[in-house]
Amino acid sequence: MKKILLMTALGLSVAFAGSVAPANNAQYQKECASCHFGYQPALLNKVSWEKVMTNLSDHFGTDASLGKVESEQILNYLVTNAGSGKITANNTTMQITKSPYFIKEHRKITPNLIEQKEVGSLANCMACHTTADKGSYSERAIVIPNYGSWK
Amino acid sequence: MKKTLCFILLALTLSHAKEFNAPMKAYMEGLNAEAKATNPNFTGFDAKRGEALFFSKHTGKKGTEMSCVTCHSNDLKKGGQNINTNKPITALAPSVNVTRLTDVAEVEKWLRRNFNDVFAREGTALEKGDVLTYIITQ
Repeated sequence: MKKILLMTALGLSVAFAGSVAPANNAQYQKECASCHFGYQPALLNKVSWEKVMTNLSDHFGTDASLGKVESEQILNYLVTNAGSGKITANNTTMQITKSPYFIKEHRKITPNLIEQKEVGSLANCMACHTTADKGSYSERAIVIPNYGSWK
Repeated sequence: MKKTLCFILLALTLSHAKEFNAPMKAYMEGLNAEAKATNPNFTGFDAKRGEALFFSKHTGKKGTEMSCVTCHSNDLKKGGQNINTNKPITALAPSVNVTRLTDVAEVEKWLRRNFNDVFAREGTALEKGDVLTYIITQ
């Protein structure tokens, strides 16, 4: 009983600290993060990842197709570690930036901060979240180029 | 004396590494056979044609004009940048990036994806062979 309580408390603290498990799969890093930031699996739910992985030949306008074996292995990694709860709630799209939670968290980020060349788009996590690759999106670690620390 | 000379020549050849490894040679032979089957007058791949192809502009998959150099830059010895995500791309030239053009599966994957992105279609055996012949000399 104590163990369950402790695990729940731990689970809650993780969910509220702006942290997700790092993307620690070598194959995922090689195949997906060669073109863009290695978004952690917990940032999308299972249904969204399934959509992403069945559309790789037209991946946001580019061909990101993989061999059948690699594709199945990566899908398996993603759905096994997919997110749930508030981070992915009510997001039926393939885009992390379309989730209501993500939008709410970024509502104060003005277009000039996003459009500058050092950032380019909200999908470029590492541009401002200096520890995003470790799965930490904590406010303390935010440094916006040409602007500075957040708050 | 002869042996030493041979050794020096071998070392020189290796240090310039302008040759495909065995699996890539086999892949190139496959492309060669395919190009020959399509066109009986085909006499071999050409780096100059490959270079022209690499720099040629096309309406890509996204409907915008692009070429290989859009992401890989004009100088293959330098890195490039993914036009969509700003992610850096390591240099394509095998002379500065020894891992390039060594893994057949990787080469096939990127040729498939990049021809689709730049030409909005797959590459032919002739185009793939020419462009690889160009890149290996860089």
